[in-house]
Amino acid sequence: MNDWLNFSSNAFIAAFFLYCAAFIGYAIAVAGKRWSNRDPEGHAKRWGRIGFTLAALGWLAHLAFFFTRWKGGGHIPTSNMYEFMTFLGMAIMFAFIIVYLIYRKVLLGAFAVPLVIIIIAYASVFPSEVQPLIPALNSIWLKIHVTTAALGEAFFAVGFAAALVHLIRVVDYSRTDKAGRRAQFWTEFMLVVIVVVIGFLVSVFGFRAAGYEAQFRQETFRVDLQGQGETIVQTVEYGLPPIVAPYNSEKLSMDPFLGLKEPLFEAPSWMNGVNAGRKLNTIIWSLISGLILYGIMRLIARKPLAAVIHPHLDGIDPDDLDEISYRAIAIGFPVFTLGALIFAMIWAQIAWSRFWGWDPKEVWALITWLFYSAYLHLRLSRGWQGTRSAWLAVVGFIIVLFTLIGVNLVIAGLHSYAGV
Amino acid sequence: MFQNTKCECGHQNPTGTVLCEACGNPLVDDLPPDSPLEMRYDGAARRSQKQNPDLIDRVWNFFSSVKVAVWLIVITLIGAALGTIYPQESSFVNLDDPAQYYKDTYGTWGMIYHFLGLSRTYESWWFIGLLVMIGTSLVICSLDRVLPLYKALSKQQVRKHLNFLRRQQTVYETTLQTEPAEWVEKFARELKRKRYRVWIDRKDGMALLAEKNRFSRWGPYINHIGLIVFLLAVLARAVPAWHMDKYVSLDEGQIKQIPDTPYYVKNEKFTVEFYSDDELPERLKGTLRPKLYETKATLYTCTADCDDPVKDPVLVPVKQHNIQVNSPLSYKGLKLYQYNYEERIRLISVKPMLVDKTNNRSYGPFELPMTDPPLTYKAGPYTLKLSDVYPDFGLDEQNRPMTKSRDPNNPAFVFVVTGPGLAAGGEMYIYFPMPSAENKKLQDQLNESFRKLGSNSGRFAFEVNGMENVSFSQYTSTLNVRVDRAMPYIWVGAAISMIGLVMGFYWQHRRIWLRIDGRALTLGAHTNKNTYGIRAEVAAALGRTGIAVEPKALDNRRNKR
Repeated sequence: MNDWLNFSSNAFIAAFFLYCAAFIGYAIAVAGKRWSNRDPEGHAKRWGRIGFTLAALGWLAHLAFFFTRWKGGGHIPTSNMYEFMTFLGMAIMFAFIIVYLIYRKVLLGAFAVPLVIIIIAYASVFPSEVQPLIPALNSIWLKIHVTTAALGEAFFAVGFAAALVHLIRVVDYSRTDKAGRRAQFWTEFMLVVIVVVIGFLVSVFGFRAAGYEAQFRQETFRVDLQGQGETIVQTVEYGLPPIVAPYNSEKLSMDPFLGLKEPLFEAPSWMNGVNAGRKLNTIIWSLISGLILYGIMRLIARKPLAAVIHPHLDGIDPDDLDEISYRAIAIGFPVFTLGALIFAMIWAQIAWSRFWGWDPKEVWALITWLFYSAYLHLRLSRGWQGTRSAWLAVVGFIIVLFTLIGVNLVIAGLHSYAGV
Repeated sequence: MFQNTKCECGHQNPTGTVLCEACGNPLVDDLPPDSPLEMRYDGAARRSQKQNPDLIDRVWNFFSSVKVAVWLIVITLIGAALGTIYPQESSFVNLDDPAQYYKDTYGTWGMIYHFLGLSRTYESWWFIGLLVMIGTSLVICSLDRVLPLYKALSKQQVRKHLNFLRRQQTVYETTLQTEPAEWVEKFARELKRKRYRVWIDRKDGMALLAEKNRFSRWGPYINHIGLIVFLLAVLARAVPAWHMDKYVSLDEGQIKQIPDTPYYVKNEKFTVEFYSDDELPERLKGTLRPKLYETKATLYTCTADCDDPVKDPVLVPVKQHNIQVNSPLSYKGLKLYQYNYEERIRLISVKPMLVDKTNNRSYGPFELPMTDPPLTYKAGPYTLKLSDVYPDFGLDEQNRPMTKSRDPNNPAFVFVVTGPGLAAGGEMYIYFPMPSAENKKLQDQLNESFRKLGSNSGRFAFEVNGMENVSFSQYTSTLNVRVDRAMPYIWVGAAISMIGLVMGFYWQHRRIWLRIDGRALTLGAHTNKNTYGIRAEVAAALGRTGIAVEPKALDNRRNKR
């Protein structure tokens, strides 16, 4: 590894810890307003400024990571999942800074910064070494298409963060009617999902730090286009203790974990995709650790997490949050259209000889675009501002994430090189 | 339903008008009396709100509804998502029996998927129908709104009804402490500094309208025009003459006509490179990671004898390009893309010697090209006549020589040798230029059987001396040939669309109205996006005229809560 790349990975670690520190600053700004002997306004302002400064420093470190890796690796670091997700984190930070400079709402940072932390932690799950470009990616459009698409999505992410604050802000715990309970349930559900994602990160990095390993030999039967059946034998490596073994596999080696010496069961036969068994195992672990984490938090708080956060949000008006969320999406929409559709079409025309080929990634970019188009049109109608609009912003970002990650993990297609 | 459309200000409005065209007083009002007004399209009447609709009106009304448009978008979105569950049939190069394939690969669900036609989602009538409906909706929605909006914005009245002002999203009311006329002048100056166009009521100077960035209102419609152009261009790709999508496979050194065109393409050389281990990170060492696929190609055009079956066409090179994955050859709308390659040794030509086994003397060499070989050859005193060619040699059921295909996979040549000391009819020999043990055996067996039949005396053999006498192709490169005459329109549509989006989203149409009745100032402001921005602007302008107010306090929605 050359010096540029060494510096780059140090800068990445620095960025990560600066973001964490920024989050703590923001959390104190939001949560500490009612601490005794304090002027709430002054406190929020002061800690908000500290949080923003740390976040901005983190972003500078992140930029340093990006450009030194570009220099050291010889190509723009947006060519695989690790590089793309770290870039997305950087873009979200940029979008957040823009939106923050317009609206100056401290609260937004308290939600956008942890989102960035989760995104770049997720990036680190993937192998981080520099991989030389394959011919399909060797184009100036790798720089143009990927960066603009990610920037558009970053604004959607900020729209999502604002929408989430909005939802927690307006959820009303005094209501006991059906609609009120439904709002309480789904708001809490969103937080549970986020905790499960954190649970995923905790289990992956926990077992990775402990050096956990297990190996299976899997036989897969496939029918090729000529109708010939063939059996493929491959080794599947697990980084998490196998609760589920791959379908039709035998154990080669397995470190024991808490008395777990054998997989508890085997993946069902219809899960025959690439590494399907391992993915299922990872999902199970994420759910287990996420739910344990959530349980602990509930035990400490003794009330729903949204109810814990809710009282701290009264300093901001729901209408402002609605406006911020909508504005972020409105800023992101043209950028997304340009990057994820138009530039994508230009590149596809050059590299694959057709501007559109209904490849899953293309289709999901179109779905994302259609969804946000529907969002923007719905806002024209009465009754689709505020809470309903916030839910749409949340769903929209879930679609964005599926387009970015889910398609690669579940569907693959032509963009599969961007996978693990 | 009879609707009285005459406003209290005396203006006669068309049916369907929501806000009086002149003073802005609400005519149709189903909202609570103190809530902000519905300001869409400035409350102008639209065609779709016509009374007693006939059939055309009903169709128009259906497609002019934003609600219908959103439904169309959502259904298209769900349909598109369904199409990604399993690979589409179009993603396979050749799929002989799709039904069987989906059943074998994806089981029962795959069978259902194929049965429902979801394996061809994007070519299906319902999906294309949805796109056409979205296109229709784009046109009608836009026309239904842009015309009334344009009219409403081009004949705005400066003095508005108090109801109109008080029910804007941004509202301010106060009693002026200074001379009203002077204050209005000052306020107008402040707004002009912020690039507003300002109109003051000519009668008494006690009402004002300031407006900026009206053009941003046209953004959505320009975007829709772009999308229409785009969709029409996509449909135009169905015109056969506008579209070509063919594949040409070329061995190195091979030249082929591009079907249905006067063009010929030659593969001069194909290169595939892989990264070496020291270029790869630890985890990828030892794997084949491609670095470059390149076909050195020359494009020729035929200038004469193009369709003459007897003569060879006259070719003139027009373009040379190293075709790589991200760098197609492009010539007058014709594009050649690197599509695929295959490692397949194929002889281009050999220069064998004719060997007389009786005295071990060799004659020649003579040049034998694998494609279009000449009919006669000279080797020393001997003449070789080509009597048969099997480009892809094989034996049929009765063990008779045949060719398996027209591709020169394993060519065999049958020569009749005539010359001094040979019978008048000559001697017949078969020759396999491709060096392999199996070919050697076949060649010997066949020549032996010719000898038994009396066709030869076993005197001659063929021999190639060294690799310098063999020219061969290592790779077959497949190029994708494309003509897409609709592409410029696609890009124009996309560009128009982008311009519209930028206009609509990065600028906002802002208007400020005020009137002074005695000393009572009533101000209302409206923007189609970013109410936060307009509040800040109004508060700043008021501040400079000596009225200090917090931007937040101007928010009408908040005041009512």
